[in-house]
Amino acid sequence: MNDVITKEAIFNHHIDKVWNAISIAEEISKWFIKANFKAEKGYKYSFEASEEKGCLTINGEVKEADPYLLVYTWVVENTEVETTVSWQLEPTEQGTKLTLKHSGISNYSGETAIKMFESFSGGWNGCINQLTDYLKINANAR
Amino acid sequence: MQDRVTKLFKAIADPTRREIFNALIFTTVAMPISQIANQFSISRQGVTKHIKILENADLVSIKTIGRERFCNANAKPLKEINKWLGFYQQFWDDSLQSLGTYLDTNKT
Repeated sequence: MNDVITKEAIFNHHIDKVWNAISIAEEISKWFIKANFKAEKGYKYSFEASEEKGCLTINGEVKEADPYLLVYTWVVENTEVETTVSWQLEPTEQGTKLTLKHSGISNYSGETAIKMFESFSGGWNGCINQLTDYLKINANAR
Repeated sequence: MQDRVTKLFKAIADPTRREIFNALIFTTVAMPISQIANQFSISRQGVTKHIKILENADLVSIKTIGRERFCNANAKPLKEINKWLGFYQQFWDDSLQSLGTYLDTNKT
């Protein structure tokens, strides 16, 4: 079982624009999840979505926040499992390459996994649909 | 499906059960409960309890031959767990797509 999820994406946008989107609370809240976030080492952040949507709270601490590497721990509320998410940006000819790594996934086991599974089954889909809707409305408005 | 996954996680949450399951996978042939008990130096009763939980999660099947019960491991349900862990794969795919859309629509 692979313990690290790695995702790569190329964006046709300047590296600073992508960096802002992933590191500034206001912007994170627009495309990802409502964020109380500062890209400062040691900052204890929280990501949350409204209760009635059945969404979860994610807490963690910023470990690295030097352009263009952002690393934070990722702890799902009501679980004790700590995983780590890192966002690495590199400039390319077309724009920016993002490498996202989520490590420690295998730490989710037993009771923790059950709890998380139960919360997630209603949770994330709601969050993601919400986000997709937001983006659609936003795109239509422009 | 959620019930199945819950049972699975419960079954593999215990280290002794994981060891029993691994042993059964490695031997590939059906093993009598008495032999499992010897191998793990736990009581036959204890092994039976663990085996029942594994059976409940479809990880072990039991066949009674004469006075002895033979256990066979079945790894297929573990795929379900793999799939479950794939949750984050999907989550990040969706999130990065959202990020892309956000960047494209936000011209500032």
